[in-house]
Parts: sequence; structure tokens; C-alpha cells
Amino acid sequence: MLFKDQIDFVRQHVKKNRMRIFTTVLATTMGCAFLIVLASIAFGLQGTMKEEILSDSAVTKIEVYSNDEEKLDEKAIRSIPNVQAIVNKSNIQASAFPTVKFENRSGNSEISFSNFEQAKKAKLKLSQGTYPSKKNEVIVGYNLGQNLLTKQELKAMEKEDDTTKEKENKRGLQQSLLGKEITVAFQTEDDKKTKTRNYKVVGIGEKPVKEWLTDSTIQMDEAMKPIVLRDYNKVADQKLKEKDFYYVSHAVYATDLEAVKGILKKLKSMHLSVYSVTEQLDQLNVFFLALKIGLIFVGTIAVLIASIGIYNTMTMAVTERIREIGVMKAIGAGPRLVQRLFVMESAYIGILGTVLAILISYIISFASNLLLPKILEAVMPESGIGELGIRFSTIPWELVLIASAISIGVAILSGWRPARKATKIDVIQALRQD
Amino acid sequence: MIQLQHISHTFKIGKKGNERGVPVLKDISFNINDGEIISIVGKSGSGKSTLLNVIAGFLKPETGSIHMNGKETTNFTEAEHAKFRMVNTGFIFQNFQLMPGLTAKENIELPLKIKGVPKQSRKQHVQEILQKVELEKVADHYPNELSGGQQQRVCIARALVTNPPIILADEPTGSLDSETEQEILQLIKQLNVQMGITFVIITHDEEVATIANRTFRMHDGVLKEVETVAI
Repeated sequence: MLFKDQIDFVRQHVKKNRMRIFTTVLATTMGCAFLIVLASIAFGLQGTMKEEILSDSAVTKIEVYSNDEEKLDEKAIRSIPNVQAIVNKSNIQASAFPTVKFENRSGNSEISFSNFEQAKKAKLKLSQGTYPSKKNEVIVGYNLGQNLLTKQELKAMEKEDDTTKEKENKRGLQQSLLGKEITVAFQTEDDKKTKTRNYKVVGIGEKPVKEWLTDSTIQMDEAMKPIVLRDYNKVADQKLKEKDFYYVSHAVYATDLEAVKGILKKLKSMHLSVYSVTEQLDQLNVFFLALKIGLIFVGTIAVLIASIGIYNTMTMAVTERIREIGVMKAIGAGPRLVQRLFVMESAYIGILGTVLAILISYIISFASNLLLPKILEAVMPESGIGELGIRFSTIPWELVLIASAISIGVAILSGWRPARKATKIDVIQALRQD
Repeated sequence: MIQLQHISHTFKIGKKGNERGVPVLKDISFNINDGEIISIVGKSGSGKSTLLNVIAGFLKPETGSIHMNGKETTNFTEAEHAKFRMVNTGFIFQNFQLMPGLTAKENIELPLKIKGVPKQSRKQHVQEILQKVELEKVADHYPNELSGGQQQRVCIARALVTNPPIILADEPTGSLDSETEQEILQLIKQLNVQMGITFVIITHDEEVATIANRTFRMHDGVLKEVETVAI
């Protein structure tokens, strides 16, 4: 029998038993949609968490911590293939935070020292300007200007007990600090002793990825370390040594994402403690893989329950058509053709149910992503869930593929036994039926 | 064309463990030549339908061998029997065995579909057969819209459509009135003469046997040739 004729044959029978087939398809649709929607929660949350992690740091960045006070062997690290740059960052201790002054404004800041040549090599971005080329040039954090307040603004802020965002936005320096000269001052608590130094702002750092984060740092060249320490010690009650003045962090940048794993392995073999977002992502992926498998398993149970319906429908179809099967066998239909026709019928139910389930699942997924945050926001207004941008459900093509394979596979398996039964029908008995 | 040698078969009846055998076919041997009409006459329960089922391959005999069209079919598998039937054998049933959901034309087309004949060629074949059995006017009617005679014509057309050399007919006029019975018998005779098809007709009606070249009588599982008419 030609394939097209087989399809026509199956469609004819489906049409004849519309109502029964409809209820079976409906059960299959519900089972498959349940599977997809359930698993889509794991995909959605994984996507949200992955985005969250990736938005925090660059994927090619590897944080390296040397043990104890041992100095990092930068030369050895540079010799690792695919290492783009090693950016060292020294942050001064919190107790030594300076005050920044610009015109009639002032505010607190923190200083960090970087090797800008390496930062440039690592292609670390700035929102404005360039990297410093002279000692007295600095890069300031994106929010430094906003933190510089006039005395009136400071007083007004101290009086306010409820600060709204609008007021916060209007406060501080509204213009860019790029190209301006700022003064960094170390002073005693009683303001009796002050040591100031002027710096030219040549670059503004990138905007923090989170709205609630602020960046008010001043990044200077590493060569400024002893000078700043001297400035601090001039006014400090307790003089600090260089090793106590700041702590150093190292970041190794890989040329691309694929190279990160190899570099991590090498660094670990050098007995260095390392952290990369890719490792965190790997752990996250393992967790969500287990979750997805679990949810797909639970969803498959629903599909299996629906398969009982298909089994019943196909068994009834075979029982009702015993005479028909007998005639077909008498006029030349072999057992394989008879079996194929019934398996195709159950596959037809499976395919129809799966297609409908995919459509319904996408609608449910879209609606839940749209409505759930609003509902949760209404129920828990303090949680701020609506602004977090959580995706509750995502249906990637892999999930559609897995669910379709399970649903159609189970449908075919359900029809298999009744189809086998059809091939075993005795022609003589079948032709005797009314 | 068809050669049966020492065919015997026993049905087992009774409860499991307490069964007893009832012999239905007892050492049956006979030959049927190309283009013959053979009738096998006998009372109900004489074993004539069982004999037809053995020839058709629906039932495997306990002993003996069957040769059809130069091939031994005795030990064919179910699939081999189906394939052999598709090419070599047509069937005419007492109660027509038409598919109620298909029109007369579609019923006739069914064996061609099973055979895998392309649509265009099928259409042509069906049209020719419809003309032969004079059913063009009711081609699009469903079986329940046809008279008994018309239904049997559809059944005959379905048996003819694959152009088989042998047609096995089980009580072909059993459900028809005497006038329609004559029409169908004439049609069978005509097809035998025109197309050279071999007919094996099982009947309890002596009247039907009149169109046969040879008539066999079946009694208690034993077959005897009783009449031969020169072709």
C-alpha cells in the first residue's frame, strides 16, 4: 500500500470515530502540555539565574587568589596558552577611604590601583573616555559624581527620613566628571590635618549592571601606590605599611569562553585558588539538569496516563474492525501492513495531541511570564518581584523535541499491542462476524 | 493450476484437557485445471467451506499438500499467503463482506490500494471492471444503498480487479433471490469464458452447480467427483 493511501486510510477511520479520537487526543494534549509546562519552569529559572550570573561578571574572567603572602607568578600565568591579560587590582583598606572634592561638592570614595595596560588588553570597557596614560590621571566610577554633594544637599538628606528615588536622582553632580580635575583628600576625623592631591578624570567606568549598585571608586595607576600611601600616612594617627594599606586581587582574562576551562585547569595545577563564573554556571547547569530530568519524569507520568486512553481507543478500534481486518487480510493485506495501519493511527493521535500541546504550552508559558509577576507583586508588594525580571517559564526547542519524542513514542507504544492483536486476527473467524 | 494431495484436517472440540478430534477433511485429492469452473456441493457441516479455507490459505491442513499456480503453498507463512492471494486469488463471499464506509467504487479499489497500485492506474482499472459488471450507475453508492445483487456484483468486481487467475467463491448466491442468483451465475460464466478465470464455487444449491464444468460432492469430509461437463 502506498504511504499516501495508508495516511488516507488512517484519516478515514479517525473521521469515522471523531468523538472518541477527540477525547483521546485531548488526554494526550493535556499530558504532553503538562510535561512541557512543568519542565519549562526549570528552563525558565535556569535562564533567569544564568543571566543573573553572567550580568555580574565577564565570562572570560578568572579570579585568582595566591596562597598566603606568596607573590603571584605572573610570568608563568602569561605563558599559559590563551591568556589575554592579567589585571591586578589593589583596593585600599576601608579605614583609609579618602574624601573626594569637586568645586563646592564632596563625598566619600575608595581608591583602587590597576595595571591599565593589562586592563586595556583585557578589553575592559569604559562608559566614557580612555585609560590613563599619566600618573595623575584617573578613572572614576559611574556614580561618583552623584555621590558628590553640596553642604545644603547633605543637610537636606540628613533631615529626610524618607528618601524617594526621585529626590536621590536630583541630588549630586548632574554633569559628567570627564576631563575635570578632582581633589582626593585624606584627613583626620577632626579635620585638623588634611593632605590633598589633584587628579584629572580621563575615563568614567561602566554603569553597574544592577540598579541598586553604585560605583564611586577612583582607579589609579599602580605607580601611584607609594604616593597615595605617603599622603595617607601624613595625616593618619597610625601609620600603615604598604602591605597593610591595600589588598590585591588578580584577574586572569582568557581570549574566549572556550579557553576558560583549559586555563582554569592549568591555574589549579599551579596550586592557585581560582574562581570563574563558568564554574558556577557548570554547577548551576548540573543542578538544573537534575531538576529538568526530575520534572520531565513527572511529566512523563502524565503522558503515560494519557497513553492508557490511547491503548483503550486502539483496542476498541481493533475489536470493532475485526471483520474489516479479516476482509483486508483475505484480499491480500499482510500482517505487517495491518500492524502499520494501526500503529499509524495511534501515532496520528500522538502527533495531533503533541502539536496541540506545544501550542497550548507556549500560550501558558507566555501568559505565566506576563501575569505571574503581576499577581505576585499584587500579593506581596514589598517583594519587588515584578522588577526582578524573573522568567517563570521558557520553552526551548530542545524541550519541544524531548516532549514530542516522549509523547509520540508513548502513543506509538500504546498502539503497538492492539496493532499486534490485529495481525493475529483469524480470517475465518473474522469473516463469520456480522 | 490447483492440485490438492491427501488433504486431511481434524477440528478439536470440547474443553481444554478434555478435547476430542472431529475429522472434517479426509484424505482429499483432486486437480483443477486452468479456466475450469468447479463446484463443490454438500450439506452444511460436510466440510466444503473448510476445504475452501484450506485452498485459500486461511487454514493449514494437518496433512497433505497444496500446489497453486505451480507453487506449493502448504507451508507458506501468513505474510507469504497474503502476498500470494493478492496476486493469484480473488474472493466472492456469501454475505459480500463489503466495507460499509466505502462506496462501491472504493470497495472495488481496495485490493489495488493494498497492492500499491498508483491512483491513476487504479482509476482506470476500476472503471473497466465497473463496466464489466454493469455497476457504473451506482459506483458512488454505499453498500447499504445497493440491492443484494448489486452488492454481490461489487464483491465480484473487487475479486476481479487485480486480474487474478483463480476466484474462490463461498456460496456466492446464498443471500440472493432466484432471479438475482441467475444473473450472478450468468456473470460468473461470462467472466470465465471471456477472461479464462478459474472458479471454485462452494455451494449447497444444486442449481448453482449447473454452471460448473465439474461438480464434486462433499459428504462427511470425503470428496467425490460426480459430474463432468466438457469445456
